[in-house]
Amino acid sequence: MDLLWQTAVNATYAASYMALIAVGLVMIFGVMGVINFAHGELYMVGAYCVVFLYAQENFPFLLAVAAGLVFVGIVGIVMERTMFRPLRDNPLGGLIASIGFLLILQTLVVFGFGRRMGHVPPSTHGKIEFFGAVLTYQRLFVIVAAILLLAALWAFLRRSKFGRALRACAQDTEAASLQGISMNQTARIAMFIGAGLAGVAGALTAPLVSPTPYIGHSIIVTAFIIIIVGGVGSLEGAVIAAVLYAFVHTFVTTFFDGVIANIVGLALMLSVLVVRPTGLFGARERA
Amino acid sequence: MSRKSLDRKISRRKFLGTTAASGTALAAMGSGLSRVAFADSHTIRIGFLAPLTGPVAAWGKPGLDGCLIWADWVNAKGGVNIGGQSYNIEFVGYDNEYDAAKARTGATKLIKEDGVKFVMMLGGDTWPGVQKIAEREGMLFSTLLPSDLSPDSTTLVAPCEVHPIYNVTGVEWLAENKPELKTAAMCAQDDALGKPSVATYLAAFEAAGIEMQDEPLFFDPATTDFAPVMTKLLAGNPDILCLDTCYADYVHPLCEQAFQQGYKGQIISCTADFYQKIIEKTSAEFMEGFIFQFPDFDDPALNSEGVNFVNPNEFYAEYAKRYGASEWGAVSWEYASIMDLWADAAGKAGSAEPAAVLEAMKAGGTGKHAFGTADWWGTELFGIDNALVGNWPVVAIEGGKATIKEFRSIPAWWDKHKDLMVKHMTALGQMWNQRG
Repeated sequence: MDLLWQTAVNATYAASYMALIAVGLVMIFGVMGVINFAHGELYMVGAYCVVFLYAQENFPFLLAVAAGLVFVGIVGIVMERTMFRPLRDNPLGGLIASIGFLLILQTLVVFGFGRRMGHVPPSTHGKIEFFGAVLTYQRLFVIVAAILLLAALWAFLRRSKFGRALRACAQDTEAASLQGISMNQTARIAMFIGAGLAGVAGALTAPLVSPTPYIGHSIIVTAFIIIIVGGVGSLEGAVIAAVLYAFVHTFVTTFFDGVIANIVGLALMLSVLVVRPTGLFGARERA
Repeated sequence: MSRKSLDRKISRRKFLGTTAASGTALAAMGSGLSRVAFADSHTIRIGFLAPLTGPVAAWGKPGLDGCLIWADWVNAKGGVNIGGQSYNIEFVGYDNEYDAAKARTGATKLIKEDGVKFVMMLGGDTWPGVQKIAEREGMLFSTLLPSDLSPDSTTLVAPCEVHPIYNVTGVEWLAENKPELKTAAMCAQDDALGKPSVATYLAAFEAAGIEMQDEPLFFDPATTDFAPVMTKLLAGNPDILCLDTCYADYVHPLCEQAFQQGYKGQIISCTADFYQKIIEKTSAEFMEGFIFQFPDFDDPALNSEGVNFVNPNEFYAEYAKRYGASEWGAVSWEYASIMDLWADAAGKAGSAEPAAVLEAMKAGGTGKHAFGTADWWGTELFGIDNALVGNWPVVAIEGGKATIKEFRSIPAWWDKHKDLMVKHMTALGQMWNQRG
């Protein structure tokens, strides 16, 4: 096994799922101005969609992943309609409501699936080897899906009418409203996409982690570090920061240890804040 | 119905008779209620203060499940005889989520509100939250982690699991039975469970002449992706991959990563909870020969003379019937085994009061540990002889099933290598007088 190549493969996988989660978080913040603390739990719910449909009910893995995306997207729409819309003028209220919602999601999953980790067998044991490194198909799914979904999102935002409406709202809500763009509809779409991305990340990685009702805690911390480094509100920044953070964290874990890797990750965030308080892409471009 | 018809149906005599009968029935009910209340006063409550949720729940919840079986069996036989009176046992659980502050709240509730006579804990990171309360209240506590012991806490005992000291038996067995294994790599979560276990494995490897390829790799307990951890561990292609005392949530993905990254060597771990699920994720061939320390209790070796756990095979069968065989874990039997000791001591003391039970439990310096008669021990390592130490099983997965290979003596290893243990515990700041 070639240590360098294997570490690069590990980092690429980590960057892929982190990018999906962080871009979703940025979508929600960019369009609605809400810091969604329940984003980690949306990831967790996506993972449990696979626990239920694939591991327990024996549906095909990819169908379970697709269901995870759609179901968590719908959960996002429910959040928008019931919490974030009534609290649109109160960003702090939205944040607090999202904290309450994450506890509700955790509790519902505990009721439905128990408190212990869910067991998801791999959908395939296949793997490819190159330059002495091993990449399992299960991890390859995550990398390919992340690339396809983020490319589709980029095309949607650049080429479609709804995408342009989302970007307009992210840049200036009032001006967008004056142009006849419906804030409600835009927020709904943003929430569906943002939540759906977290859900699909959870669903894709479910066989690779030990899903528990509390797994969202560690995910949300990493996602916040990434969007702060990338520039809060910047989709491109979130993707690049996810890659940067994943490579730094993975290489430091491999060549030093995991605890030092966390310290280095936080130091990276602090360094970016000191040198460029808006994040790497925060000032130049927003969604 | 008209009043007239009522008058016709209920005569004065009938009314009086009915009233008298009702009064008698109520009186009977009343006496029945008082009997229930009387019986209730002969119930002893035992506190179960452990993580029932979260990543450490695998070392709390299955233990409570096992205790419920223990209580059902004991109560069905009339309860525990203390001072000539039978008492039913009732467990009061409190989920401390492996958090010291919540453990403190739970201990206060269990003692002050629920009136428990004894509190069983997992210990570890949660013990510091409870320590002052235990000292102030004089309540008898038990821990599965004797690294919690110190001379300051005289009412804390480790009567079942001598974690992590028993891990030396697995390494010793490997060295004797597979002498070709010469190098090892190890990882652990960076917490109160991981560190003393790392020190123990380091001592055991050194005693066995097995060389560590690198410093032990500590990872953050919040880690979800174990690929980088495993990549580093396998970088030197070690003969032995040691997973220390990693939680079940970590052992599973670590094994899966080792499998995916092509590791073919020996794995040793303190636990392999829900190992059937690991086999599902890897393969029976990959897990063959996996060494750990916790048997399934349907193992026939547990019926051998000297094992004190009551009806181990029946206990396992009942556990599997109630909760499923795949839910059996390292601690499923441990808290129940502590209750055997407690009940025995309370019977000898003729009292359930904590001080009396503790004195009876430690009388003579020996006790009936689940795996045989053992000694109250620990001054050199913990500053107090409150750990019950004797034999411990070495378990291997063979044909997809946990199998006891041998019972080995922890004191025998200690007598030969205690200097190594003290050296490594000291280096990692795990001696009782080093902990804050």
